[in-house]
Amino acid sequence: MSGEDLILDVADLWVAFPSYRAAPVHALKGVDLQIAPGAMIGLVGESGSGKTTLARAIMGLVPPPGVVERGRVLFAGKDLRRMDAEARRHLLGREIAMVIPNPRAELNPVIPVGRQIANVVFHHLGVSRKEATGVALDMLRAVRIPDPERRLNAYPHELSGGMAQRVVIAIALACSPKLVISDDATSGLDVTVQAQVLDLLRSMVQEKGAATLFITRDVAITAHFCTRIAVIYAGQLVEMADTRAFFARPAHPYSIMLLAAFSHNPALRARWTRAAGEIADAAGEGCAFAQRCVRRQPRCLTDIPTLRAIAPGHLARCHYPVEERQ
Amino acid sequence: MPILRYIGRRVLFVIPQLFGIILVSFFLVKLIPGDPAVMMLGPTASTQSIAELRDKLGLSKPLITQFGRYLHDVARGDLGTSWQTTRPVTEDLFQRFPATLELITLGLLVALAIGFPLGVAAARRRRGPIRKFADYYGLLAGALPDFWLALVLIYVFYTALGWIPAPLGRIDMAVVPPPTVTGSLVIDSLIAGNLAALASSLGHLLLPVLTLGLINAGPILKMTQSTVERTLSSDFIRYAEMCGLPRRVVLRQAVRAALPSVLTIVSVLYGFLIGGAVLVEIVFSWGGAGQYAVQGVLNADVNPVLGFVVFSAVLSLVIYLVVDLLYFALDPRMRG
Ligand SMILES: Nc1ncnc2c1ncn2[C@@H]1O[C@H](COP(=O)(O)OP(=O)(O)O)[C@@H](O)[C@H]1O
Ligand code: SF4
Ligand SMILES: [Mg+2]
Repeated sequence: MSGEDLILDVADLWVAFPSYRAAPVHALKGVDLQIAPGAMIGLVGESGSGKTTLARAIMGLVPPPGVVERGRVLFAGKDLRRMDAEARRHLLGREIAMVIPNPRAELNPVIPVGRQIANVVFHHLGVSRKEATGVALDMLRAVRIPDPERRLNAYPHELSGGMAQRVVIAIALACSPKLVISDDATSGLDVTVQAQVLDLLRSMVQEKGAATLFITRDVAITAHFCTRIAVIYAGQLVEMADTRAFFARPAHPYSIMLLAAFSHNPALRARWTRAAGEIADAAGEGCAFAQRCVRRQPRCLTDIPTLRAIAPGHLARCHYPVEERQ
Repeated sequence: MPILRYIGRRVLFVIPQLFGIILVSFFLVKLIPGDPAVMMLGPTASTQSIAELRDKLGLSKPLITQFGRYLHDVARGDLGTSWQTTRPVTEDLFQRFPATLELITLGLLVALAIGFPLGVAAARRRRGPIRKFADYYGLLAGALPDFWLALVLIYVFYTALGWIPAPLGRIDMAVVPPPTVTGSLVIDSLIAGNLAALASSLGHLLLPVLTLGLINAGPILKMTQSTVERTLSSDFIRYAEMCGLPRRVVLRQAVRAALPSVLTIVSVLYGFLIGGAVLVEIVFSWGGAGQYAVQGVLNADVNPVLGFVVFSAVLSLVIYLVVDLLYFALDPRMRG
């Protein structure tokens, strides 16, 4: 697919957090990621791997002192990094929308939720306040919040976590965005509510035809949710494949470790996880995952692996990708 | 209604709170050196007349008996007499408290008008001239004594420029004051339609109010700046930015979120200034409540001191109640 047709095209994105004494921490080290219109990409990785930083960098909102050192972010062909801040602001919330993990802390505590939805509509779509409130009510209905007329005036603290998450989904989809980034959106919810909210999110983005970058620590969720999966480790994508191929033949040892962690098979988990004692002794210039990798070879400590195709559309950053089914 | 329940509980605690405050201040005041009987009769009095007076005043009884008697009187609204003014303390205080309240209320309004916008402006940018100015201002306002600033202002605006009436009292001797309604000369002049009194009282208020305003703008500035700064990097502001809300809207939300903290610092300053404005009162011969209490301390005149404490305590309790009601209005989470 050519660059023109992609909704999001991230290339060689580097983000650093300078630290006062030590060398800067690189949260992202050359990330490439393409999202086609309407696609649902799952981004999986453990905590601290750089998922949130990637979401923020796409929006141009890396928190200080972080800086985007290098790279390109094209949104529908427009270079977001070259765009002035005001023009980019007009895209956020309207064309690129965010679903956040902890809505009861991130919604404004002193503004009724209906007005928070209406605010976004009002400032982006140039409608009257009254029309914006009408849209807010429609959105509350669409995310299936019971008694929406009354909930319009509720404050975030008066809602359950699941309800608040629905409000956030309503805000994200109110302006019919082209790209929805969902960052760990259900991690704070209990399992049943989580499933309901995920189903809702999926049906809403499908209905609006938005592309989705679905960020999660839980690789199992992505199986039902995404068309394609990217695995991130220490600021680098280490594997990317269509969902079916990824679950059938995961190639990177780290991906397999993540999958094994969610399986109910202790032997599988043990086979792909290095014991804690073994982790520290390996250090080198090579593969970033080498210290924890069960397949590590001498070459892994000296040569840096690149992200390369091991099958059509299936990329892995590993010298010795796994070929057999797990 | 959680708010009514809350007020009810609050009022219920007023009596024990007042009792505790009177208890502590009574014994503290009794520790002040100096015998009222000696002070009243002067250095030439005989030992016998002093002893007689002490008996009459009840000073020869044990402290605990004296305390009981004082409580008994307070319960009936009698705060005793000041031997210096020879008038009931309640009357004296009802005359002087409005003077102090008018002064510190206007002073804090000026402080807010300076400190709040400056704090917001300073919070918006971590660098730049406004931020620098705010930093120096906060430092200076914290370091300068208010009475010193008062003297400088008097020197500049009265002595050197002559723009301001003589800094003596609340109104010119030659101007007929309005009949007392609220005790605030500004309000009473307005009620009476007495423009001469209004102009004169405003002229007299100008410098002391400016003094209190300039000094107390410091803490308000610091509190506003740090709170707005903190909210600007908070989760919900970051989310508002992610939603692409205009910068001025995001800033308004951050400022709105900072209001409870600003309210807190203003109420603390208000409670403090009831007695804490005393040096400014003295410099301007204001005749306010703080000045009255200090005269009492210096002359072993116990009743004005205790009376001042009781008045201030009641006033503070009222202020905190009002502040709590404002918190309720500002923060839906408190309405439960
Ligand atoms: N505000 C910050 N200051 C300094 N370092 C940060 C900050 N945010 C993130 N990082 C660094 O970036 C890395 C990735 O963080 P993040 O993107 O939040 O990971 P994830 O969302 O995958 O849990 C972290 O391990 C940390 O080292
Ligand atoms: S390159 Fe070597 S160390 Fe790195 S993941 Fe592959 S096998 Fe493991
Ligand atoms: Mg994260």
